[in-house]
Amino acid sequence: MKDYLQIANSKVFFLCGAVIIGFIILQAILYFNISYREGIRIGLTRAKMLKAFRTGAISTIVPALAVIVALITMVPVLGIPIPWMRLSVIGSAPYELMAAGIGAKSMGLDGLGGAGYTSQVFASSVWIMCIGSIWAVMIVTLFLKSIKRRYSNNADTDPKWRTVLTNAAFLGVFSIFMADPITKGGIALVTMLSGATIMTIFALLIIKLKQSWLREFALALSMIGAMACTILFTNFL
Amino acid sequence: MDNSYENKVHMIGRITLVIGLVLTFLPPVFLWLIYGIVPPLKNLMNGIISISSVMLPVSIVEVLTFTPMLGASAMYMSYLTGNISNMKIPSAAIGMEVAEVKPSTKEGDIISTIAIAGSVIASEIIIILGVLMIAPIGEKLGNPMIQPAFEQILPALFGSIGAYYILKEWKLAVIPILTAVAVNMIPGLPTAITIPICVLASIFGARFLYKKNLIKVTD
Repeated sequence: MKDYLQIANSKVFFLCGAVIIGFIILQAILYFNISYREGIRIGLTRAKMLKAFRTGAISTIVPALAVIVALITMVPVLGIPIPWMRLSVIGSAPYELMAAGIGAKSMGLDGLGGAGYTSQVFASSVWIMCIGSIWAVMIVTLFLKSIKRRYSNNADTDPKWRTVLTNAAFLGVFSIFMADPITKGGIALVTMLSGATIMTIFALLIIKLKQSWLREFALALSMIGAMACTILFTNFL
Repeated sequence: MDNSYENKVHMIGRITLVIGLVLTFLPPVFLWLIYGIVPPLKNLMNGIISISSVMLPVSIVEVLTFTPMLGASAMYMSYLTGNISNMKIPSAAIGMEVAEVKPSTKEGDIISTIAIAGSVIASEIIIILGVLMIAPIGEKLGNPMIQPAFEQILPALFGSIGAYYILKEWKLAVIPILTAVAVNMIPGLPTAITIPICVLASIFGARFLYKKNLIKVTD
């Protein structure tokens, strides 16, 4: 039943990960080089630019730790290399899980891992994670140049509506996944409500007590809290 | 001279994004070619329609939102590496802050590019260290006592993130949740139908509420 995990953890996928991460770092170095040179040309100081580099690196530490926490939650159902790769390119943890969930759903399954999650369902999850990110990349590749030009000519769009639209589109998908536990109840519903409760507590802490560092970790920690409730519920109640 | 820098940025960006995108497809292609594992075309199409019905509108809006915040080179780097709102935007913002340059200026673009390059390199290294640490405990996570918890990862995620969005503006959530529960009652509907229905219902509902000035906008 777990044989897909053996495949998911095979060396060839670690190798893919290494190739992709190498390529990402290559791109970062290329851009660092040309913008550093351009910076010198227009009169930015070396010290200023290196300070920006250091600040960028340091301010990433906490969110990167949050990514590792998310990675730990994904490893038991998707293996190590695929979540590693996916969390290092294009998307982010919630997107990847949503896409993996859609991949499972389109094979007629409601969850990740567990009985029925065969290697074919796993493959479907992986394909959908990859395909879902085509859109963003293609839009940037094809249109960024002209969008930039239009923005500098001050195109007027309603930024408030854009925020609402994005939130609404995401809520549309979240609802589909929330509807399953709502209609089926049981352990899935317990887990979902636990996650919602913990997130609400975090939100209160962040807003009322101004603990804004928690923001990065709130999602990962509520997921872990919710899954801890699942363990309590299945083993001790 | 000015234009040659801009052109170079776009050229490098376009080439690296396309190559990067192709590289991300190595795992599913290897699953297929080496192990012979591939989902049936019908299910795959179903999944493609579902994911695209969300990600196409979301991607368009996101690109339009991030473009004024980040320079072109910062955009190309952000879209190859992801984690934009939680890593790249904060790094760029604080980088411009410490270097005392303004966003949407030439200096701002260069500083944010450099800050994001730092962010990319640091985050990839930290995540690799994380993977090296997880590898030995990976086996233990499969323990039968805690394994059921990981199988509930989707309810855990959508409970948490759903609550977050509901707390932001609960009125937006009413229509999609009711729609989702309703379509969920009909057995056998493929996701290629249910997901677009919920996304569209949610967007139209939001448009109505927005026009009536019934929602407050945060973030």
